[in-house]
Amino acid sequence: MIDLTPRPERHGDGAPKLDSVNDLIQARIDGVISRRRLIRRAAELAIAAPVVGVMLHATSDKAFGAPSQGRPQALRRLAQEAGTVPADGPTAPEGEPQAGGTLTIGSNAEPDTLHPYVSQTVTAADVYVGIVENMVAYDSTQQLVPRLATAFEISDDGLIYTFDLREDVKFHNGDSFSGDDVIAVWKIIMDPDFGAFNTNGWDKVDDITLDGNQLVITTSEIYAPFMSYVGVERIAPKSAIEAGIDPFKQEYGRAPIGTGPFQFVEWKAKEQIVVEKFADYWGEAANLDQIIYRIVPDDNTQLVQLRTGEVQMVGSAGALSAIRVDEALGIEGITILEHATKDWYHVDLKHWDHLRMTKVRQALDFATPSQDIIDRLLKGRALVSVADQAPGSWAFNPDIAPRPYDVEQAKALLAEAGLTAGTEGVLEGPVPTDDPNVADGDVKPLEIELWFVAGDTQSEQVCQIVAQSWNSVGVKTSVLSQDISTIWGPEGYQFTEKMTGCFYSWSNGNDPTCKFYWHSEDIPDSPTGSGGNLPAYFHHYNFQEAIDELTIAADATTVQEDRGAVLFQIQELLHEEVPVIFIYWGKAFPAVADNVGGFWPSAFNYLLWNANEWYLT
Amino acid sequence: MTRFLIRRLLGAIPLLLGVAVLSFVFMQLAPGGPDALFARNARMSEEQLQAIRHNMGLDRPVPEQLVTWLGNILQGDLGISYTQYRPVSEAIWDVVPNTLLLMGTGMVLSLIAALLFGVLAARRQNGVFDLVASFVSYFGLAMPVFWFGLMLQLLFAVRLGWLPSAGMSSAGGGGFWDVARHLVLPAFTIAIGSIAGWSRYVRSSTIESLNQDYVRTARAKGMDEQRVLVGHVLRNALIPLVTVVGIDVPLYLTGAVLTETVFSWPGMGRLFFDALTVRDYPILMGILLLGAVLIVLGNLIADVLYGVLDPRISY
Repeated sequence: MIDLTPRPERHGDGAPKLDSVNDLIQARIDGVISRRRLIRRAAELAIAAPVVGVMLHATSDKAFGAPSQGRPQALRRLAQEAGTVPADGPTAPEGEPQAGGTLTIGSNAEPDTLHPYVSQTVTAADVYVGIVENMVAYDSTQQLVPRLATAFEISDDGLIYTFDLREDVKFHNGDSFSGDDVIAVWKIIMDPDFGAFNTNGWDKVDDITLDGNQLVITTSEIYAPFMSYVGVERIAPKSAIEAGIDPFKQEYGRAPIGTGPFQFVEWKAKEQIVVEKFADYWGEAANLDQIIYRIVPDDNTQLVQLRTGEVQMVGSAGALSAIRVDEALGIEGITILEHATKDWYHVDLKHWDHLRMTKVRQALDFATPSQDIIDRLLKGRALVSVADQAPGSWAFNPDIAPRPYDVEQAKALLAEAGLTAGTEGVLEGPVPTDDPNVADGDVKPLEIELWFVAGDTQSEQVCQIVAQSWNSVGVKTSVLSQDISTIWGPEGYQFTEKMTGCFYSWSNGNDPTCKFYWHSEDIPDSPTGSGGNLPAYFHHYNFQEAIDELTIAADATTVQEDRGAVLFQIQELLHEEVPVIFIYWGKAFPAVADNVGGFWPSAFNYLLWNANEWYLT
Repeated sequence: MTRFLIRRLLGAIPLLLGVAVLSFVFMQLAPGGPDALFARNARMSEEQLQAIRHNMGLDRPVPEQLVTWLGNILQGDLGISYTQYRPVSEAIWDVVPNTLLLMGTGMVLSLIAALLFGVLAARRQNGVFDLVASFVSYFGLAMPVFWFGLMLQLLFAVRLGWLPSAGMSSAGGGGFWDVARHLVLPAFTIAIGSIAGWSRYVRSSTIESLNQDYVRTARAKGMDEQRVLVGHVLRNALIPLVTVVGIDVPLYLTGAVLTETVFSWPGMGRLFFDALTVRDYPILMGILLLGAVLIVLGNLIADVLYGVLDPRISY
């Protein structure tokens, strides 16, 4: 993937062909055109200014005279137009792989704890996946690949899972791995005194038995996302678990032990975590001797460190945000990769007053310039979204077209919903009482508070754009913010008796289950309760019964084809009813030094997932 | 003196207790809570949430939580962090020495520079050095830390390559000189604001001392200018500086958050800020309490120094 795009055919005589970025670069390198001519021709071809900048850099006299690393680098970026390189395979730099070496990774955030059963952060997972392994793991194409289990089988009735466990596997502390470790993990996760962060999947387990090296898990009900929780659960050694709840929780989280290709060495608070190659690894041992995970909280400092070489990689939780990519593209010796994520950015709409009416929500969708937000604000570094399944996933329904940005249709729908211009042009009309689609209550103005998490500039800009557009169709919209703990706390916008929206993202798991977002069981029963279905806190969705049935049905089959059909229907229903305004799917931008090979980040795994395959040249 | 010290230290106890109770109350008044992020985290069931609240002690009434917390503090137990799942004292102790190192170096740097600039500027009042020093001071005061820090990084780490851009030691670890090299830029950044402010104090109090009768007397005796400046002028000019430095200790503590963030310095400011965003109450209250202790100590040292500098002051 590091290969240059083949140069265009050169023309032997006459005027040089100057119809594309590559033509221009070639002509400039050949000395056929001047710098000025390149700029002028680029303007005629409407090539974006940043691209022209890179073209000039790539063909500058310095680069021309003494080819620096920056030149092929810059050329390759041009080949990709956006400047980033799709992460569609492991990085494969030129040059011979070296044995050994140290790689330094930078991250904005520090893990809370490295304990796989209580940690809440992606940053923590980025590190511990290299240390503590699972029975099976997702690779970067969302396929389950063997780890501590060589194979697994699901019974015909979907209730019994059988894993063939690997033998001769050692933990970092010298213990041998066996099915007893998995049983100990199950017991500690389900122990209420332990307080595991996530018991999903494990709470469906009735019994686990061991027959030689075959582990048989019997479950109480068919639960399609089972493998995405239990199959990929990290396995700690039984001896550490049985040391007692408090020691296991406190000490293991600061110095985890697993069977992975890297073993934990040290964690200096707020500074760095160091792991080193585990010599007795059951599989292919790591190439690198050491990986250092440095905490670099400031975004600018992170770029400075990529520039100085103090940091050679950022990714996953520490990846660059879309609005930082342009700055980072100028750094020599660093490649900016790009991959899709499972993060869907949307504006949720509390079902209150006018927002209970489908037509009003559809009108707001028409009045939201999603494509504009993606093109202008995010410079095309995102994918438009229509519902809750990511493009590229087998669960994604490709047949739904996003609503275009159409202010006239928005106005027409608002008029159909009984809204007319009132004081200062703000629309007003009766609100629904019983039936959400019948406006038979008091006349109220259509005023919406639009919230975002304080400190997030990108969200703020999105909200300003949306608010401006909504205001222009007569929906009075004000933009407000609160810090993250406040906004998701009991005083947050979800629990006020007003019409509100909030711009944020949910992140899907590797399994496409979506019950948590929409099902009536997942409506919190109080402002301190749990559950993801917040817009329906005061009033159920007007399509609640339908979505309840569909989300349950989707989780009750393990046959991918049948599940896909149900998930397609869910997406159609969501697009029709607009419980939230789907805006875009985020993209991630890991950055890596040009001499690092084997790095293959994706939406489906965490940073160190294949770190044993990484190498330096 | 000893009696004074004992009296002041005993007097600090109710003060610290007050700080403890107030910080607890303010924490409770702040909207959101440590469980807010749990409740909104995908796929958390009601039972799991209740179990987590129980483990954090959040299911008990607030007064009871306060009493338990105060009782534990008196026994030296600051509790267990909600997010790091380890004793608060351990989490704080990991980073306190780093912050003290940064603060201490910054303060020493400021003191030396402020004395030098202040006295030199005062000697030739409205002279060229004075005007330049005034200009630079105001520039230093007005400079945002994150911008200034970034500029230093770009100059010394990226362009010149003399110093590391951030962190407290090299990734591979390092000895004394490695830490010293990492310390230069953040210590200078944290010092720049107070160099500016303090040198203004030194300047004005030096000018004032220079006009005193005892300075004229000393000069009349034929004492050389060097000794007049150091022995008579500076010693008296130091008293207001000591007061300001004592007061500025908390400023250094808060200023540390930004400097530590820009330079990835593993300090208390960052621990506090990170804990604040996730409402990790035990850590927050532990740091507030420690901050109060440092401020009380800082002012006590300032009071003791008055006596050393000015024999007329006795306790």
